[in-house]
Amino acid sequence: MAHFEIRDLNFLYASAKGRKSLEGVDLTIEKGQYVVVCGKSGSGKTTLLRHLKPVLTPAGKRSGKILFNGKDIGELTDREQAELIGYVMQDPDDQIVTDKVWHELAFGLESLGCDQKTMRARVSEMACYFGIQNWFHRDVTELSGGQKQLLNLASVMAMHPQVLILDEPTSQLDPIAASDFLDTVRKINLELGTTVIITEHRLEDILPYADRAVVMDSGRIIEDDVPSNIGRELYLKGNEMFHAMPTPVRSFYLCEGQGECPLTVRDGRGWLDREFPQGAPVRSLPEKEPVYAPDDIVLSMKEVWFRYGRDLPDILTGVSCEIPKGVIYAIVGGNGSGKSTTLKAMCGINRAYRGKVEIFGKKIDKYKSSELFDHCMAMLPQDPKSLFVKKSVREELEEMSKDEARINEVASLCEITSLMDSHPYDLSGGEQQRAALAKVLLTEPRILLLDEPTKGLDSFFKETFAGILSDLKKQGITVVMVSHDVEFCARYSDMVSMFFDGQIITTDSPKRFFGNNSFYTTAANRMSRHIFDMAVSIEDVVELYRLNRGGDRS
Amino acid sequence: MKRSRAMLYFVLVILIPLTLYLGIRLPGRSYYLLSALVAVEVLTPFFMTFEKRKPAPRELATVAVMSAFVTIARVGVPIPSFKPTFAVILLSGIAFGPETGFVVGAMGALGSDFFYGQGPFTPWQMMAYGVMGLLGGLAFREGSPLKRKNIVMAVFCFTATVLVVGPLLDTSSVFITISVLSWENILPLYISGFPVNLTQGVCCFLTLMLFGEAILEKLERVKLQYGMMEDTDGV
Amino acid sequence: MERDRFSRCHPSVTFAFFIVAIGLGAMIMHPAYIIVSGIAASSYYCLIKGYRGLKLLVLSVPLFIFITLFNPLVNHQGQRILAYVFGRPYTFEAMVYGMAVAGMLIVMLLWAGCFNHVMTSDRFMVLFGGLIPTLSMLLTMILRLVPNMMRKTAQIAGARKAIGRGVGEDDPMKKKASDSMNVASSLLSWSLEGGAVTADAMKARGYGAGKRSSYEIIRFTPSDLVMAVGMIMLFTAVVMLIAKGGTAAEYTPVMNITPIGSSGLPGFAAYGIFLMLPTIMHLVEDLQWRISRSGI
Repeated sequence: MAHFEIRDLNFLYASAKGRKSLEGVDLTIEKGQYVVVCGKSGSGKTTLLRHLKPVLTPAGKRSGKILFNGKDIGELTDREQAELIGYVMQDPDDQIVTDKVWHELAFGLESLGCDQKTMRARVSEMACYFGIQNWFHRDVTELSGGQKQLLNLASVMAMHPQVLILDEPTSQLDPIAASDFLDTVRKINLELGTTVIITEHRLEDILPYADRAVVMDSGRIIEDDVPSNIGRELYLKGNEMFHAMPTPVRSFYLCEGQGECPLTVRDGRGWLDREFPQGAPVRSLPEKEPVYAPDDIVLSMKEVWFRYGRDLPDILTGVSCEIPKGVIYAIVGGNGSGKSTTLKAMCGINRAYRGKVEIFGKKIDKYKSSELFDHCMAMLPQDPKSLFVKKSVREELEEMSKDEARINEVASLCEITSLMDSHPYDLSGGEQQRAALAKVLLTEPRILLLDEPTKGLDSFFKETFAGILSDLKKQGITVVMVSHDVEFCARYSDMVSMFFDGQIITTDSPKRFFGNNSFYTTAANRMSRHIFDMAVSIEDVVELYRLNRGGDRS
Repeated sequence: MKRSRAMLYFVLVILIPLTLYLGIRLPGRSYYLLSALVAVEVLTPFFMTFEKRKPAPRELATVAVMSAFVTIARVGVPIPSFKPTFAVILLSGIAFGPETGFVVGAMGALGSDFFYGQGPFTPWQMMAYGVMGLLGGLAFREGSPLKRKNIVMAVFCFTATVLVVGPLLDTSSVFITISVLSWENILPLYISGFPVNLTQGVCCFLTLMLFGEAILEKLERVKLQYGMMEDTDGV
Repeated sequence: MERDRFSRCHPSVTFAFFIVAIGLGAMIMHPAYIIVSGIAASSYYCLIKGYRGLKLLVLSVPLFIFITLFNPLVNHQGQRILAYVFGRPYTFEAMVYGMAVAGMLIVMLLWAGCFNHVMTSDRFMVLFGGLIPTLSMLLTMILRLVPNMMRKTAQIAGARKAIGRGVGEDDPMKKKASDSMNVASSLLSWSLEGGAVTADAMKARGYGAGKRSSYEIIRFTPSDLVMAVGMIMLFTAVVMLIAKGGTAAEYTPVMNITPIGSSGLPGFAAYGIFLMLPTIMHLVEDLQWRISRSGI
C-alpha cells in the first residue's frame, strides 16, 4: 500500500484570483522513499507539502483526493497527524516554541499527553541520536542556526513519525551546517526507514541520494522520475528548472554526453575520464583582461583591528584590502570567521580600534554619519525583513525618497514594479530581498555592501539578482559582498578574497582564485580539475569540452 | 464569557472583602500578605478564563509576542521610567479585547521580572499592568464612543497611567513599606510616585500620538489574517 | 551556573520555602524573629552570591537608617518623646517601630534575592507546567521571545543605520523618538510574522490535540520528601506559636513585646531552623566535599 496517494488535486487559495496553485496533481509516494520535490519559488511546492499535513493545509477551494495509508487524509485526528506526519519548516528560529532545549524536545510528547517514563525514554533517545546531549540544558537562544534546525528536526522525530516532510529546511543555514543537516535526514531515512519528502535549493547535496525527484511548474507536476533521468527530460524540454540541477548534470547534458548521467562530482570526474582517457589537448581557456582600473581605489582598509568589547577576543586581526571602482568584490570564508564584521567595519558601524578605513580616499572618521550614508555607501542586511517598517512596498520606498520618478526607476531596476502595493511580508524571500535592495538603492550609494545576498534564494532569484548587480556595475557602482555562496561568487564577481582567522588571506580574480583551490572551489572546478585547468564555471567546462571535441573531428 | 464574568464578580464582591475582613483579624502587621493575596485573587479569574478557553496556537503565539514586546519596552528602553510599556499594553487590550489585554499586561510584567528580578511587588505589578489592558479593551470596545484615534488613545493612556495604573503600582509599595495605614502616611508615597507616573504617562502619550494607529493597524492585520480571537477551532 | 544543594531541591519544595519565609517575614513584627530571619537570609544570600552579597548588605544599612529615622516623622504615637519636629512629637517608640519595619523590608529583599537565584524560569515551569499548562506555555514562549526580539532589535537598528536611517546620538529629540519608534514598529511586524510560523510549528507538533502532560526535568526525589515533611513539621510548630500569640509585638502607642520565654522557645527554634535550612544544607555539602576530597 502506498504511503501517500494524491489523485487529481486542485487548489485555489482563498485570497488568490484566477490561477490555481495546484492543478491536477497526481502523485504516489511509497513507504520509505526519499522524494525530492523541486521547482521555482511559487511553483506550488510548499502548497503541495502543506496538503500532506492537514493542520497546516491552507484555506481555499480544493478538489481531488489525498489518501494516507489508504485512508482519506482528512479522517486523521489531530493527534494521529501530529504523531504520524512530521513537518519541518524553513525558519530555524521561529519554529522553536519554548526557551529550553530539553523542553523543545519534549514539546510534541507533552502535546500527546505522554507519561513521564515514555517521555524520558524518547527524549533521551533523541538527544543521543542527534548529538544534543551536550547542549540539552541550554537556552535555545545560545544555539547556532544549524543547531536550532537540528533541534527542530529532533523534536519532530521524538514523536516517531512515519513520514518526515521538510520544506526548504536548509535555506537559512550556511553550507556546512546545511550539509550536516541533510546528512542527518539521509541517516534517518536509511536507518529508520522513515519516508522523506523534501523541497530544497541545494539539489547537489540531496539528488544523488534521493529515490525520486518530482519537478513542479506553475502548480503542475511536470516530471516524476529517478534523479538520473530527471536532467535529461528538463534539458530536452528546455525547462528553466534545468538550471537548478547539480553541476555534473548540467555539464553532462550541455556537452551532450552519452550514457548514465553523473549526479555527483565523483561520477562527473569519471565521465570526463572516460571522455578524455589521454587527457585533453587544450587544457585551459585564454584569460580575460580585468575590466576595472586597479588604481582607482574607492575603499581601502589598512591593518584594521576590531573587537566587540574590551574583554572580548579580536574578531578582525589586521584586515587590509583595496577595492577599485566599479567592481563586484566578493569576500568568501567560513562561518563566523568575521566576514560580516568586516563589512560593518567598512561602513563604520563597527569602529576599528586600530588601523584605518578610507572611503573615496577620505578617512571614515572624517565623515559625519549623515554624509556617509547619503550618496556614498549603504548596506543591504542579511535579513531583508530588518528593513521593513511600513504596510506596502510603495510606502517603504517613500520612506527613503520623495522623488516619484526616482522611486519608479529603482523599482523597475529591481523588478518590483508589480509588487508596489503588496505588503512586504506577503512577498516571497527573493521578492523581499529585491524590495529591500530598492530601499537601499534609494540612498543612491556609490558603494553597495551586501551581507550574504543569496541566502535563501533559489537559482532563478539568484540570476535575477545577479542581473541587477551587473546593471548597477554599469552605472559605476562598486559592490562589496560577503558570501558563503562559492558558485555565485565565482560566476558574478570580479575579485574574490579569502577571509580566514580575522584577516584577508588572498585576493585574486575568481578564475585564478577558485582555479587554484582544490577544496574551497566550485563544483565545476572540482569535477574537471584533473582534465582542465582553471575551469571554474559550467560554461568553462562546456567550452573546453567543445574545443577539445571540435579538435577531434577536424 | 458569562462564566468568567460571574467569577470576576464573585471575586470582587465576595472573595476580596472576605479576605480583607479575615486579614484584619490576623495578628501582626499583615498588610503586605493581604495585599498580595488580593492581587492574586484579581489575577485568578482572568488567568483561569484564559486557561479554560484553550486559545488556539495562533492566538497564543500572538499574545506571547505582545507580552514579550511589553517586556522589551520595559527592559530594553534605556531611559528610567520613560518607557512605552503601558502604551503597548493598552494597544493590545484595544486590539484583542479586555481579557486578552489583561493577560498580555500581567504576563508582560511577570516576564520582565524574570529579567529585573522577582520581588514582593510582582503580584501587584502583574495586576496593575493587567488592568491597563483591561481598561483599554473595555473603553475602546466595538460601539464605544471613544474612537481609535491617536489623540484619543494617547489622552486615555495618559489619564489611565497617572490616575489608575501608576497609583496601583504605588499602592504595592505602600503595603510593603508603611507601618501604620493612615492618609497622613500614605499620601507622601503617592505624591513621591507622581512624577514617575507622570513621565511614564508622557512617554505613553507621545508613543501613541506618533504611532498609535500605525501599531494598531499591524495588530488588526494579524487578527484579520488569521481570524484570530474569534474562531474556536483554531484553524 | 552551579547550583547548591538547596537550589537543587524540587521546585515545589523551594517555592514553598520562600512563600513561608517571605510570608511570615512580612507578618511577624517580633524583633527576635526579624533578627533570626535576617541572619538566615543574609547568610544564605552571601553563600550563593559571594562578594556581591556582602555589597548588598552594606548598601542596605543606609536604607535601614533612613526608614528608622523617617518613621517617627509620619507616626507620632508613643510615650517617650525625644524631640518635636515641625511641631509634632518625634517618639522613641515610633523609631523602634521604624527599625522593625526597615528590618522586615530588608529581610524581604534578601529573601527575594535568594528566590531569584533559586527559582530560575525552568523551575518555575516545572512547578506550574502541570497546574496551568496554557499560561506556563505562554511564559516559556515569552522567555524564548525576549532574547530573540532583543537580537532582532539590534539587527534592525544596525540595518537602518547602514542606510542612513539610524538613531543618531546628536539628532534632535523628535527625530530620535520617531527613529526609535520605527525600529520598534519594524520589530513588532517581524515578530508577529514569526509568531505565525511558531503557531504552525505548534500545530504540527500536536499542540491542542489533547490533554497536555508536562515533562518533569526535575524529579521529586525521596530526599525532597524528607525535606518537605521536615518543613511541614517546623512550619506547624511556628503556626501554633503564632496562634497562641507568642509572636505578638506592638510598638506604638505602647511598646509591648511578648517575651519568648520557655513556652515560646520551641516555636522560635523551629522558625530559626526552618529559615536556616538552605544555609545548613549548603555548609553540609561543602563539608562533605572537603572530607571526600581529603579522603582521595
